Amino acid sequence: MSPMLIIAKREFRSYFDSPIAYIVICLSFFALGLMFFFLNGGFWQLDRASVARLFESAPMGLSFLVVPVVTMRLLAEERRSGTLEMLITLPVKDSDVVLGKYLGALGLVLILVVSTLAYPIIMFKWPWNLGPLDAGPVASGYLGMILFSAAAVAVGLLISALTESQAVAFFITFFVLGALWLFGDLASKAGGTLAIFLNYVSFQSRLNNFWRGLVDSRDVVFFLSVTALSLMVAFRALERRKWA
Amino acid sequence: MIQVEDLTKDYGTVVAVRGVSFSVGKGEIVGFLGPNGAGKSTTLRVLAGFLGATSGHVRIAGHDIAKAPLAARRALGYMPESAPLYPEMRVSEYLMFRARLKEVPRTERLRAIGGAMDRAGVSHMAGTVIAHLSKGYRQRVALADALVSNPPLLILDEPTAGLDPNQIRDVRALVKDLGSDRTVLLSTHILSEVEATCERAIVIDRGRLVAEGTIEELRARQRSTGLELRVRDPHAAAEAALTAVFGVSVRSGVTEETAPDRRRLRLGLDAALDADTVTEAVVQALTAAGIGIHALVPEQASLEQVFSALTRHEPSAAPEQSAETA
Ligand SMILES: Nc1ncnc2c1ncn2[C@@H]1O[C@H](COP(=O)(O)OP(=O)(O)OP(=O)(O)O)[C@@H](O)[C@H]1O
Ligand SMILES: [Mg+2]
Repeated sequence: MSPMLIIAKREFRSYFDSPIAYIVICLSFFALGLMFFFLNGGFWQLDRASVARLFESAPMGLSFLVVPVVTMRLLAEERRSGTLEMLITLPVKDSDVVLGKYLGALGLVLILVVSTLAYPIIMFKWPWNLGPLDAGPVASGYLGMILFSAAAVAVGLLISALTESQAVAFFITFFVLGALWLFGDLASKAGGTLAIFLNYVSFQSRLNNFWRGLVDSRDVVFFLSVTALSLMVAFRALERRKWA
Repeated sequence: MIQVEDLTKDYGTVVAVRGVSFSVGKGEIVGFLGPNGAGKSTTLRVLAGFLGATSGHVRIAGHDIAKAPLAARRALGYMPESAPLYPEMRVSEYLMFRARLKEVPRTERLRAIGGAMDRAGVSHMAGTVIAHLSKGYRQRVALADALVSNPPLLILDEPTAGLDPNQIRDVRALVKDLGSDRTVLLSTHILSEVEATCERAIVIDRGRLVAEGTIEELRARQRSTGLELRVRDPHAAAEAALTAVFGVSVRSGVTEETAPDRRRLRLGLDAALDADTVTEAVVQALTAAGIGIHALVPEQASLEQVFSALTRHEPSAAPEQSAETA
């Protein structure tokens, strides 16, 4: 196994050695469950057979809770406790350390994302069958959610690379991802170039097309660029520490 | 195994290590000695590749750490100062993780982990969660980790800090044992540790290398600066006779209560002069004055004295000023 995957595996497993993974998973499902049944009459009160509601609410939960919690400790805690010194002095490239940690956290988030598939299955296959489901938007919606998760976790990792405090990392990530989400709502109220800009950077606006079954390469490139850029800056931050 | 050339490391405005050069040969056990804040950990972190040097060159096992960092780190088992470990992992699980990353071949991993745990004395803790270990055992797990890939070079930052006396003895014995077939560089601020385990010491203070050599060489650096004498001196004439000898000062002269003609003298020797010559002059002067010499003992500098002499700081200006104004 490559060093990157060894580090990713340890990272992923360590979530399950602490209550963190269980709390996040339970809270997410509880929140989704509530929305499923009660929010605006529940997911099934839509005229069309679709899971658009799920796609609209899940990334919000990821932005405001799951990703900040999952990424806050990635490098911050490692640095504070000194275990980073143990990792860096291994015969392993620093980029493997960053990517390994990233993949470990992304793994947990993607498990959550994939497990939300339970909702469309429950609604449209068994035990309920609310009619034929339009598979296109579901597929593109999940593609969007995966790309979104990749970018959000990378942003969280980057922020965690810049501080030694998990709490600080949590709040900054919460704030940044929250802002990138809410820019979408703001854009509809603002006008002119500001709206264009807000829509350009908002994760919510970027996801809109995916929900409607549209996979626009510009949106794909946007999420991939945010991911790559964040990882690169996180790597630089780690390297810079050497020369501090 | 280690060549350090003109190494300097600063943390922004704080210069932690300035122009340090030394080398450690294959098979040596070398003590890296210095008071708190001397720059020991900083130097070792640069050697281990955790910090980048501001300037200078470091070669580990022949590999320049700036040009071939991975090859250098492969040759190295490093134990950082506070033995940081993942608290949620079990000891054997942690060592397995480390062994994988240190490229221990799959078929040898279990044996390597077992051997490392044996040597560090943590075999009976293999299944324990690290968070539940005492500080001393955590330290040992970190040591087992440094050993797991069986590296030819070990760099240990204060391996006995925070251990109880029995564990200190065990770890020292282990270091000596390890040193029989590999190179060890260990840092400490405890002199007896260097005396107990090392063949050679490198002393640094405030970022500068102040001495280097075998324990005997270091001791010899501090020349004898005093003499203790027992003499038969019924007329208490010794002081008068000795004032004529160049480079000698009488620190104390005590008449023994039980025998009034017997006296004990403590002499100070001028450190700038050759102690042997002055000692000879002292003997001649006393003999000429008809004083019988019963015993003459040069004051042997302890390693502690050598250390404090090497790392003695000039009293800083600030406290003096405040004393004046007070
Ligand atoms: N991360 C850092 N940022 C700024 N200054 C630092 C940092 N780490 C160490 N220093 C400073 O560098 C100097 C050397 O520190 P270092 O930790 O190398 O000393 P040491 O010899 O290991 O001391 P000790 O015996 O207490 O472990 C000290 O003056 C310290 O304050
Ligand atoms: Mg130190």
